[in-house]
Amino acid sequence: MKYTALHDVHEKMGAKMTEFAGYHMPLWYTKIREEHMAVRQAVGIFDVSHMGDLIIEGPDATDFLSFALPTDVSKKKIMQASYSAFVNHRGVMIDDTIVTRLEENRYLVVPNAATADIIYHWLYSLSAGYKVEVKNVSNKFSSIAVQGPKAEEVLQSMVDVDISKDKVPFFHATMGNMDEIKIEHNELSGDLLYISRTGYTGEDGFELIFPNSNAIAIWNKLLEEGKDYGLKPCGLASRDSLRLEKGLLLSGQDFDPHHEPRTPVETGVSWIISWDHEFLGKEIMENMKKEKKYELFRGIILKGRGIPRHGDKIYVGKEQVGYLTSGTLSPVLNVGIGLGYIKRPYIKVGTEVEVEVRGKRIKAEVRKPRLV
Amino acid sequence: MYPEDLKYTKSHEWAKIEGNKAKIGITYYAQEQLNDIVYVELPEVGTTINKGEPFGVVESVKSSSDVYMPLSGKVVAVNDMVVDQPELLNEDPYQNWLIEIELENPDEANELMDAEEYTKFVEEEEKNH
Repeated sequence: MKYTALHDVHEKMGAKMTEFAGYHMPLWYTKIREEHMAVRQAVGIFDVSHMGDLIIEGPDATDFLSFALPTDVSKKKIMQASYSAFVNHRGVMIDDTIVTRLEENRYLVVPNAATADIIYHWLYSLSAGYKVEVKNVSNKFSSIAVQGPKAEEVLQSMVDVDISKDKVPFFHATMGNMDEIKIEHNELSGDLLYISRTGYTGEDGFELIFPNSNAIAIWNKLLEEGKDYGLKPCGLASRDSLRLEKGLLLSGQDFDPHHEPRTPVETGVSWIISWDHEFLGKEIMENMKKEKKYELFRGIILKGRGIPRHGDKIYVGKEQVGYLTSGTLSPVLNVGIGLGYIKRPYIKVGTEVEVEVRGKRIKAEVRKPRLV
Repeated sequence: MYPEDLKYTKSHEWAKIEGNKAKIGITYYAQEQLNDIVYVELPEVGTTINKGEPFGVVESVKSSSDVYMPLSGKVVAVNDMVVDQPELLNEDPYQNWLIEIELENPDEANELMDAEEYTKFVEEEEKNH
């Protein structure tokens, strides 16, 4: 079992812990819905130190990543972040990621916890022939996500750099000093706190990255500064229900190179593809897009009682037209919602379907993945 | 946390036996493990179900969990209030029973744990998590 630098803090706070991707992580502190709504209406903080941190640098870093990703990172500005995906030679998604251009030829790649080592080895083997170094610094850094409409206010009171939307728009990053906490010198951001306006909740918010030695001080400072804003520490359970309401993919569940092999075209994120450059798996994705036969990642909203779950089948009459890869009760809508793959022509928004939940068919409607 | 007058199962149900009838619910530990309970499904009155078989489902935002018969019997009443307001199971898991059954074999009660045994059992469970 692996432990984050905040592990003991979570236990002391009375969090219910669980194993996730080999880490002993908080599942919740109090009530899932309370944590969920804190993020939708105020602000919540998550220990996301289990996520990976890779630094890609060298004279060919931009060319290399532009080939490895469907995203053309050469078009990105310094300190601009992109949601993207690592795909194999067949266009199948191995993982999704946020990649940030730190310098002309230096990038931060944040893969998921379970795939951090896989992506490191994948990039290492792909990099043959490129003048580039791939460094896995995951174990040196901790990370806290500060998410919700009040995230900016709370964080701004702690850092000396202007983090307003004008200065740090969505999917951009910056670095700054903290008033009382001296950030340990590190290879990502020198003596500064790394601040990225990104997240996995569908709300405004930030992801902070810093050396492990600073983790407890920053966590406690956020709890203290956030008190008047209704800030709550949040666990993996609300992290999942929050991303599910917004139709955000869960690596290893909504797609997986072995159990659920899907291209970015099928997972509904073809907007990440820059078609006017060469990249791994391009031809397969192009053909898919042209033929338009592929199943598509969609959301569903139940019209009756019940909570759909991973694996539930979707029907129109007698025909199975798809299945769910994720499902929960939406704390915001207070109805069962799901995400999954549906075949044509049933992908049309508004299509009436039935979901088989625990052996019973329940009426549902097809939606875009973003349900809230 | 575990009332003396109830009998308990390893799958964290309780049974309150009164004559040839018993009310059945989930324990404090069960609701705590589930966290926010948001959905409850119960059998129809008149159904006969054997000891150890599932009779319904209790779901939280995160997960769903079958609930099992502590004793064999015929369902004579279901508590519609917890179907309408599942959160009642978090608030008071003992006041808010799930079903009432007519016992088919009252001797089965001897196989259930009493409060002291169940408390020990839960302590062991928690150690393993």
